[in-house]
Parts: sequence; C-alpha cells; structure tokens
Amino acid sequence: MYSEKLLSVLVAVPGVVVLMLSLSWLFGLALAERTISRVTKAVYALLIVTAVLLVLSLWRGHVDSVTMFAGHWFTVGDYGFDVVLLADRLSVPFALLTVVLAGIVGAFSVRYLHRDPGFFRFFLLLHLFTLGSLLVFLAGSLDLLVAGWELVGITSVLLVGFFQYRRDPVKNALRVFTTYRVADLCILIAIFVAHHSFGAASWAAMFSGTWPEAENLMHGPAATVLAVLLVLAASGKSSQGPFYGWLPRAMEGPTPSSAVFYGAISVHAGAYLLLRAEPLIRSSMVATVVLVTIGLGTAFLGTLVHRTCADAKTSVAYASQTQLGLIFAEIGFGWTTMALVHITGHAVLRTLQFLRTPSMLRDYHRLHAASGGNLDPTGSHYESILPARVQHWLYRFALGRGFYDSVVDRFVAAPVLRVAKLLGVFEPAAAAVPELKAEDEKRASVTVEII
Amino acid sequence: MVDSGNKDNDACRDVESHSLCGVNPDPLAGVPPGGYAIPHGEGMALGGGRGLYCGALKTDHTSHSAASPREALRHAVDHAAHYLPAQGPIGVFIHHNTLHAFQHMKFEEAVLKAAREFGAEPYMKEEAYQKDRARGRIADEDVRVVVRAEPDAVIIPGRLTRHELRTAMLTPGVREAEARTLAWHLEEGGWLTSFRNDLSAVVKAGLAGDNPRALWEACVGRIPAAVPCEAGRVRRPAEAVMISKGLNMDDYVHPPLIRLTGAYVDQGIAYWPMPMRELGLLRAARRIMGQGMSLFPANLEGIGEVFRAHEAEGLDAEDVALRMLGELGVPQEEWEDYVVAELLPLAGWAGLIRKLEEDPSLAPHDRVRCSLLEFLALRLCYTVTALRNLAGESRSWREVRRRPGVEAEMEAAAMFDAAQLIGMGSAELLALPAVSFEAFRREVAAFGSLERRRLLHAAYERRHERQILVPLARHRRMPRLVPESTRLAAQVMFCIDEREESIRRALEEVDPEIETLGAAGFFGCAIDYAGIDDAGGVALCPVVVKPGHEVREVPVGEHAGMQEKRQALRRIWAKVAQNSYVSSRSLVRGWVSTACLGFLSIFPLTLRVLRPSVYARFMERMNRLFLPEPRTELAFMSDDEASRQATSGLLSGFCTPEKVERVAGVLGSAGLHAGMARVVAVLGHGSTTLNNPHESAYNCGACGGRSGAPNARLFAAMANRPAVREGLRAKGITVPEDTWFVGGYHDTCSDGIQWFDLDLVPASHQGDLARLQASLDKARALSAHERTRRFEAASPDFGPEEALVHVRERSEHLGEPRPEYGHGTNAVCIVGRREQTRGLFFDRRAFLVSYDATLDPKDEALARVLGAVIPVCGGISLEYYFSFVDNEVYGCGTKLPHNVTGLVGVMNGYQGDLRTGLPLQTVEIHEPVRILFVVETTPERLMKVVKANPELTEFVENHWIRVATMDPANGAIQVLRADGTFEPLTGDDEPLPQAATSRDYYRGRMEHLPVARIGAA
Repeated sequence: MYSEKLLSVLVAVPGVVVLMLSLSWLFGLALAERTISRVTKAVYALLIVTAVLLVLSLWRGHVDSVTMFAGHWFTVGDYGFDVVLLADRLSVPFALLTVVLAGIVGAFSVRYLHRDPGFFRFFLLLHLFTLGSLLVFLAGSLDLLVAGWELVGITSVLLVGFFQYRRDPVKNALRVFTTYRVADLCILIAIFVAHHSFGAASWAAMFSGTWPEAENLMHGPAATVLAVLLVLAASGKSSQGPFYGWLPRAMEGPTPSSAVFYGAISVHAGAYLLLRAEPLIRSSMVATVVLVTIGLGTAFLGTLVHRTCADAKTSVAYASQTQLGLIFAEIGFGWTTMALVHITGHAVLRTLQFLRTPSMLRDYHRLHAASGGNLDPTGSHYESILPARVQHWLYRFALGRGFYDSVVDRFVAAPVLRVAKLLGVFEPAAAAVPELKAEDEKRASVTVEII
Repeated sequence: MVDSGNKDNDACRDVESHSLCGVNPDPLAGVPPGGYAIPHGEGMALGGGRGLYCGALKTDHTSHSAASPREALRHAVDHAAHYLPAQGPIGVFIHHNTLHAFQHMKFEEAVLKAAREFGAEPYMKEEAYQKDRARGRIADEDVRVVVRAEPDAVIIPGRLTRHELRTAMLTPGVREAEARTLAWHLEEGGWLTSFRNDLSAVVKAGLAGDNPRALWEACVGRIPAAVPCEAGRVRRPAEAVMISKGLNMDDYVHPPLIRLTGAYVDQGIAYWPMPMRELGLLRAARRIMGQGMSLFPANLEGIGEVFRAHEAEGLDAEDVALRMLGELGVPQEEWEDYVVAELLPLAGWAGLIRKLEEDPSLAPHDRVRCSLLEFLALRLCYTVTALRNLAGESRSWREVRRRPGVEAEMEAAAMFDAAQLIGMGSAELLALPAVSFEAFRREVAAFGSLERRRLLHAAYERRHERQILVPLARHRRMPRLVPESTRLAAQVMFCIDEREESIRRALEEVDPEIETLGAAGFFGCAIDYAGIDDAGGVALCPVVVKPGHEVREVPVGEHAGMQEKRQALRRIWAKVAQNSYVSSRSLVRGWVSTACLGFLSIFPLTLRVLRPSVYARFMERMNRLFLPEPRTELAFMSDDEASRQATSGLLSGFCTPEKVERVAGVLGSAGLHAGMARVVAVLGHGSTTLNNPHESAYNCGACGGRSGAPNARLFAAMANRPAVREGLRAKGITVPEDTWFVGGYHDTCSDGIQWFDLDLVPASHQGDLARLQASLDKARALSAHERTRRFEAASPDFGPEEALVHVRERSEHLGEPRPEYGHGTNAVCIVGRREQTRGLFFDRRAFLVSYDATLDPKDEALARVLGAVIPVCGGISLEYYFSFVDNEVYGCGTKLPHNVTGLVGVMNGYQGDLRTGLPLQTVEIHEPVRILFVVETTPERLMKVVKANPELTEFVENHWIRVATMDPANGAIQVLRADGTFEPLTGDDEPLPQAATSRDYYRGRMEHLPVARIGAA
C-alpha cells in the first residue's frame, strides 16, 4: 500500500506542477524566476526522495513489482482500458535516473537561463517532460505509455525550437517532429495490433512473471509484427536505424535541454521500451535480427560520423548515438542487465559532457598545456590502415552524415509529395496551393542539409 | 546635413519596408501574379541576418574595369574583406571597433552606411530612447539643445520652423507604424477615433473642433500617389530565387560550405582531421566531395561532376572564381559588389578565413593555409550548381527585379502624426499653399526614424556627458578629501580597466593613506611569455605590438627536480584525460567507459552543478596533494651575449637599458617621479570563468586578451634591480632607496588576489606589505559586494564576505552565462591625476589612467598614454556599442544556443555562421554611448598630440569617441563639439550626491548610478 502511494506521488507531483504552471500562464500570471526556481528545486527534491523511498520499500519488502490500479479509462462492454502504474526492477531504475538527472539539469538551468525571455516556458516544458518520462517508465500498459511517449516527443520538439524567433531552430524542430510522427505511427499501430490480436496491451497481460524473468505470452505472425513495430518505434525515439538523422538537428535548443533529452533521458526511452518488450522480441527471430542490425548499423555509422564532427555539441550527439546503437544490440542479444547498466552509465556521462560543451575551449586548452603541447594525434586507427581511396570516401561519407538527409528527401519525401499531388485531384482547393505546383523533388528538399 | 540625412533616410526606408516584388516577365518561371510577398525577417534571412538590400552597393573605390580580370578579382576579394568581421579564433578575443572598416568616415555617417550594408541598426530603437526620456535619462532640455545645434529653416512662414517641428516630433515623439500594422492602427487601433492624448494644451487648442478622420483624409488627399521608383536590381542569385520561387537557396549552399570550412579549420575537436588539408580548402574540398558513389541533395545534383572537371583541368582558385563569375554572367565592373554580396551571408566564416590568411599564427593549434579566394571559389561552385538546378541555367537571375513598395500611405501616416504634434487641423492643412505644403511634407519625410534616432542618441549622450562632467567640475572645486600627507603608506598600480575602479575606490576608502594608480595592464612590458605550466609562449601585450623579447617562468635552481616531477604528473593526467575524453565517444572503448565507468561521473556532475565551490576546493586540494609546486622566478635577464642567440628569433629577456626604458615609461607617464611609498604594488588582472567561450574578452585587453599577471610580476622584479634604479635616476625618476615593488594578480571575476615573489620582500618591508594585504583583502570583498548589486542571484542582504563567496562561485559555475559583466557599462575614460577622481563613485564605468600634465612639458608622456589608451578603450567602447544596438548582427546573440566549433568560434545550433561580436549576456546592462575621454590637459596640447598620430586623429576627428579636457591648472573643462571646436562647460544642472561610503550610496539599487562623492559625510 505504502509503495503504491509512493508510486502515485511520483506521477502526480509533476502532473500537478505542470497543471499549476500552465494555469498560471493561461491566466497571465507572471511568475517570478525566483518562484519558478524554488518550485523546481522543491519538486525534484520531493521526486528524488520519493523514488529513493520506493526503491527502499521494494527492496525491504522483497517485492519484485508493485502495481497500482488507478481506475478504468473507459470500458466497452466487458472490454476495458485500465490505467495502471507499474514499478518493477526495470521501471524503478529508469524513474530514479529521470528524477535525478532532470533535477540536476533543472538546477543547472536556473542559472543558465536566468533572464532569458523563455525562462518560464523552459521550466514548464521541463516539468512536462518529467511527467511524460515518468509516465513512460511507470506505465503498466502500452496505452498509458503512449501518453507519456507523446509528451516527451512534443516537449522535445518545442525545446529544439526554443529560440522560436529564428528560422533554423524552428525548421529543425519541424523536421524532428515529422520524424517523431512517423515513428509514433509504429507504436500506435502496435497498440492496435496488441489489442486486436491479443486482447490487451498491458504488460501484465502481455508477459507473465516480472522483469527480467518475464515470459512472453504472445506468439504467431501478429507477435512478430508487433515486435518489429515496437523496434521501429523505439528507433524513432532513440535516433536509430531508419530514423537516425534527427539527433544533430536537435542541438538547436539550449544546452541543458540537449543534455536532458539527447544525453540523458529521452533518447533512452526507446531502449526502455525495448527492454520492456524484450521477451517478445526474443521470441521473434525477425524482430531480433532487425533490432541487432539497426543497433550495430547505427553504432558503426554513428562512430564514423562522430569522427568528422568539428563542433562540440554534434560531436557528443553522434557519440551518444553510437552507444545507443550498442545498447540496442545488447538488448537484441538478450543481455538486458548489461543494457540497463550501460544505459545508466551512459546517461550520466553524457549529461555531464553536454553540460560541459560551453566550457570546451577552456578544457581543451588546459589539456593541451598539461600535455606540454603534445596531445596524442587522433584519427590514426582504422582510418590509416585502409587504402587512401577508401579512407577518403569514408571521410566524405561521414562528412555527409551517411547521405541520410538526401536519401530521405529524394526517396521518401519527394515521392510522398508526388502522391499528395495526385490525391489533389479529389480536392482541387488543396491542389491549388502554390506549394504543390512547384517541382516536387526540389520542393521536398527545402530543408536539405546534407552535402 | 539634412540633405544627406534625407537621402540616407529614403534608402533605408526601402530597407525597412521590405515590400519586394518580382516584375514580369520573369525569367525564372513560377512567379504568381504580384510576386511572393516576403515577410519581414525573411528577407533578412537571405543574408543570414546581414541581409542585402535594394540599391547598388556604393563602393569606396573606383571601378577597375581597366585592370586584367585576375587583378580585378583579387582586388574585389580584398575589397570585400573590409566588410567582413575582423574576429580571429575566439581563444584570443580582441576588442576593436566593429565598424573599423568605416572608421575613416564620421561616426554618424558610418553607422548609417554600415546599417545599409549589413542590414543592421545604427542606434537603439526609437522606443528605447523614448523610454529613457520617460525615466529622465534624456531630459527635454537635451533634445532642445541638440535640435538647436543644427541649422534652422522656415517651413511654413509665420507658423512652423524646422526646430519647432523636430522638437515636437521628438518630444513627445511620434507614434510609429509599419506598413503591415498601419491598417490595424487605422481600423481598430483608434487612430481615427481620437487624437493623440499626450499633446500639450496649446497644441490641443489648435486641434479643437477638428476630428482625426478629417485630418487623415486631408493628409491622404494632399499626398500624391507615390511615383513608382526604379526597380531594384538583385545583388546575388539567392535573392532572385527567393523572389521568383520563394525558396531560400542558402539552405542548400550553406550546409556543405559550413561543414567543409568547419572541418578544414578545425583545431582538434574532430577525432579524424580532414584529409588533404595541405592542398588548401578548395582542392581538399573538391577531392573529397568529387568522389564517386556519392549522393547529393536534389538541388546540388551535378556538383560532383563540377568538382571532378575542375580537378582534372587543374584549375586553381582564381581560375575557378573567374569561370564561375563568367557563368553567372557578372560583368567585371560589378565584381566588387557581387563578391561582397556573396560573402556577407556567411560573413563569420569568411572573416575567420581572411584573418587566418593574414596571420596563420592566430590558429591556436594547427596552422592551416587559408585563403578567402578559395572560400569564394568554393562558394561560387555551390551557388552556380544550385542555381542551375533551380532555374535550369545560371545567367538569367540578373534580370529579376525587386520593386520598392508603395509608400504613399506610410507618408500620410507620418504626416498625420506630425500634424497632430504641431496642432495643425485638417482645415489648416488643406488651406496650406502648395509651396508650404510641399516644404512641410519634405521636412516630415526628411525627419524619418533614422534621423530622429540620430538626434535622440545625441541627446542621450549629452545627458551622459553632463552627468559626468558637471560632477567632475564640482568635485574639483571642493576641498581634497585626503590632505597631502607626508608619505603614503603604499601605492598600488592597477590596470586602467574600468572594472578595477571599484576596488581602487574601496582600497582608498579602507585605508586613506594608500593611493592607487592606473596604467595599461601590460605595464610597458611587451613580452612573449610561457609559465611553467604552459605549452608554448604567448604574446602578452596589446595586439598591435609584436613582442620582441621572451620571458620564461623557470623553477628556482633547487626546485628543478620538483618541476620535472610536476610536468611528468601533468602529462600523465593529460594522457588519462585525453584518453577518457576520446574513448567515451568512440565505439569500442566508448562501451567500456560508458557502460563500466560512466556511472562514476554522477559525482562530478552533482558537485559541479549543485556545489561548484565544493568541487573547486576539492580539485584545488587534490592539486596541492599531488602536484608539487616549485618556487619559480622569471628568466628575464639578458646581460650576456649567449641569451641574445635565442632560437625563436626573440630576444631572451631584457638588458638593463631596456629594463630602465620600460620601467621609466610607466612610472614617468603616471607622474611617479619621486616620493614613492615604501611599498608599491603592481597588480595585473585577468578573469577566470567557465561556460564562457568568450573568456578571452574578459581578460586584460592590454595583454592581448590574456592575464596580465606575468607582466606585473616582471615589472616589479625589474623595478627592484639596483642597476635599473640607477638608470631611472638618470632619466629624472628617483625611486627612494627604501621602496620595494611587489607584483600581483587580481581576478576581476572571482575577486581573488595572488602575490608573486613574496619570499624576496626584505624583512624590513614585511610590516608595510602586511598592512597593504590586509587592506586589499577588505577592499576586494567590498568591491565584490558592489559588483553583486547587479546580480539578481545575489541577495541584497549579503555582507562583503558573502559577496566574495558568491562572485567566486560564479567563476566556478558550469552553467553561469554571466560570470561577470566584462566591460559592460563602460562609458568614460579619465586621463589625469588621481586627485581629480579620488573619492568619486564612477560605478565601475570609468577607465582611470594616471597621467600628470604638470610633469610632462613636452607632451611625450601624453602621446604615449593616449596612443595606447584611445585605441584600446575606444575599441572596447565601440564593440560594446554595436553589440548592444544590434545584438543579432553586430553581436553574437544570446549565448544559450552557442556551440563551440573547431575551437575557433561559436555558432548557433549545429550548423550556422560563426557568430562574432559580444553575446547578449555580456552587453545586456550596457548603455550604448561612445566613450567620453576626459584628459587633464589643455585643448591645444591635446590636439597637438592627437594630430601627430593618424589613428588618434581618426578616432577624435571622426567622433568615434567623445573628448573633453580639464585644465591642469584651474580645472576648467572644455568639450570637443561636432564642428571641431572646444566649448567650455557651463551650467550646474547635475548634482554631486555625497555619501559616507560607497556601500551607503549604492545599497539596494541595481540601476546605473550617477557620479557621487564618497567619504565626505
């Protein structure tokens, strides 16, 4: 009972804060920076204490999982959608990581964003993000998880476009948004598949036992489809595989949001989903192969691209992507505990690295001086083993970020626009929009960023 | 003046209105009737914030059509380079006049010209000036005086003069509308339902019985529809594409260009350095991008073939640029304008390339061969290819025209407002004879936003001038605060930096027997210096000087072993740190460091964010525990031939006459010829900050953006040598036998003070030194306290010690974007004896330079002092001015999205132009005034010195700085006016508040504070 209460506090507190902040905004109440920062610090302190107490209570009570039934969302006949929160050995570490890292970044941002016109907006989004993440990690069903998933997505997009009076951030935020939408389609379809084929989308109904000893209860082609869809959805959130191109674009936002989203929590949400669905994925050869391929492919591509990045934030972003690729592969191989440890270490380290990016100049010069001006040359491993021609091509490939944007613009966006234009036959008013008259292919690449 | 202002005004109004239209028949297909309206801001984006506008670029040079194409091209590139920001790699940030390229022009003309070139603001927004007027920062008297300083003219005989019209349009000021908002103001904003409600009774009487609608209709009725002016030429293909297709071509051209240039100049961020860099940017890029099996964006299709063809033909940058200019169909006489237009959209990168081309040694680690011509050639390849893909061919873009929008309604709106301000009703307006109406209309149009802001700015600066000069004159008339004592307890020489003003004042408040002095912070020692922990030597002197002498910090003999151990340990640390840095980002090693060790970073992460001071103390303790600290000395002796054979081409150290010369230069200029205190401290300064790529801008400007500590240490060591004192005596400077110089360092961010070579201080002086140190410790806490009044994060209830802790934490905080405010708020430079300023509260806004005209009959010291101080302080002031008035174009915008790139600069987000200038967080509390120099001398002597130095002449005669003199004998103040004459200061309209201590005066106030007299309660 005590643990259940803690669990509900963990979700309710950020919810209430978001509600209060939003209402105060709605009613034009200009909260002082000092108030916002006090509220933020208090909320995260409370969340961290709650999360720690939850860990302790699970540990002391030798309980593997706690489920909290929060009510029916709705029922149709005897088929119901329940709102269930779940704390187990997988979700609690994630929740703890979230509140700790978001809390640290929140404290950092109080200083960092001081006097910025978007101060309030930033903190509102940060709290909304915390709420979303906790929902993702503590949801007892895929249905509830999606609610958090979308909150994380939309806050991520709004923070990429945080400097809304400039063109580039908004443009890139839109691009990130589009990528998210496509990936989110996968998770929505996955929910339909789960409900349709297996009659439920709650973890308890999908898997028996508690994580990590959970057993998959779903089999057959539908299960494979479901598994692959979940892998794709996770890839979208973690910037992997087919959705690998958006992470550097997300660097447009203020540094602390880059840290909390793309170093710490948001990118690891995909990995969480995979860990949760690991028994299902394990049972499907296809999904496993897809997952491992995506993971290893992205890891290799990421490390290659990272090597040529000449700016501090993109460099960390691709490094982050590389390790996420490995984490995906680890999950594919079934090494779940290792993946969990890897995620924790990775999230903490990247957060620190992101927060240090503005100080990079100083750090580097200190290092340079300490080494007596002789830093070891880098870039002399496999780059120098390969013949020059291959090396140069690889460099070009990496500098062009693997041609990702060109591929997407020319072979995905352009055809879609062409189809849209054809469909315009049925709706002449829409077809009359001048945008659709221009040559599609060129038009599609308005936001092309690739070499 | 008015005429030229008028012309400028019109050109700029075209800029402001942004109503651009394509003209049919359009050579590029796909233009909807009427063209695409380009929303405000979007047109700007064409030039990446440095938008390009209609009207041909006025060039300062005659066209070079007679020259050979190659010469003409080189000339065009050199010409364009003047328009690029002159900021080198950010590790060494040098304050300079942002509009240095325009410095040969008068300030007021230059800001307008630059505003047109760069799409920038020349002054603050009119609204900002009007707000300042509302809060009393600008007095109506100031407006009246500046309006009357210019020629008057009769507009409507017996009814209206220019002075009356202008005064009315500035006080209370016009209501501004833009073309896009005018309709709203008329229909819903209430402009037509009632007259302005801020009119005086007299004016209101003139409008009695009239109604606004009638007046509006009268204005519209009498203003003829605008004559369509000549369609403007587009300046570069991207503009044509934007007009005809609504696409931003820079979106395709910039990303590859930025990535290639960034990788090319990278100083060590990328793990894999760009291959083939030795071939130069153009060829390396061509070889890399021209490889087969590549996929390009649709709009850059074919660029690979272009590169391969150029490579096969072996074209160099000149060939490529010439060919591409030919393909674009730009005739030779237009190259100058075209190259400027093509380079400005990535001005930050182009400027960096140019800087590195001129001086490759600016690159902090890897010297790369840079060439602006190559950058241009590469850019042109991309431009031509993108244009071909978008338009099918590459020449017809030149036929696209932009048409200025219709202005008649805007003109009517301006007149509608002006008529209300002078109380002219509709009947009177309609009854005006045609001649008068035309004159009225012309005057109103001539007094557009830019003209009004020019005058408002003059008024703004006039009030500032009076707020400084009048109290200064009052202070001079009052009795001295500290009677001339027999001998001072100590003298402390600081840098002239305005940030030292508070600690100087505090020190004198704490111990009135101490006197402070100001000298440029390199203390006359231009050196190439390497400390024991530095990898190589760096120049510690103003950037215009190339040091000829090198000075090294070396461990004293018996500590040599300790030094070796220290360096070995540091190298090990560097290896570990570098490896963990690199490995955390790679694939396999990254797995180890993130999965196995990553969790450990929770400790530094938590500490550094939540308790930065604890972390800093911990690291200090670790250093003390493990890193041996050898005692060191400076190797600066050069009395034997061997040291003259230095390998680096620098002379090693100084010989005695050189030492004497340097010491004499500083002491003599500062008026220290005799009677020095027993202890003379020399404090260099610097600033330690985190989260601050612009750290160098906060350091000592006189030391090339670095810390001036070694210079202070060196100066003290030289001045203590008996042989040097001997030499000084010969130059008329008598240093008392019992005077001891001691060097030190003041950190303007953490307010920490560090001393050098204390072990050498004779036992007889330990007591004097202890007294000075105790006073300085109190003073730095007081100074820190005064600084915290500007910081919202600091509680107003802090005591001095808490303030000291607070400022120290700021310098160690990973997330603090304002570790200190740098030179923000600087506004004054006073060159004279300390007694003229002693006890005055200048709010850390005044550079204080010690100079004694009574000991400088030949004005040699003055020439030396001004030669260093005017360019340095003028440059700082102007950089802050421009970064403030247009933070997006001249400054680098908010720091929050800044991303360090290549260790050479910052850009917004993940790929953009390099941002130059100062960040918003540095300038946000600044007041944009040109710095006011008050020199304690006579106008004749000052102008003699100024005229002898062309650089100073430019600063002074073109009014990039404001100048006043104070007579050394009687204190009479004279101010240099726009016509070049000096005008005696009259009037007593500013008070000189008095307070017992600085703290009493500023307590609980955050805003700029006027000059006050402290200590005279």
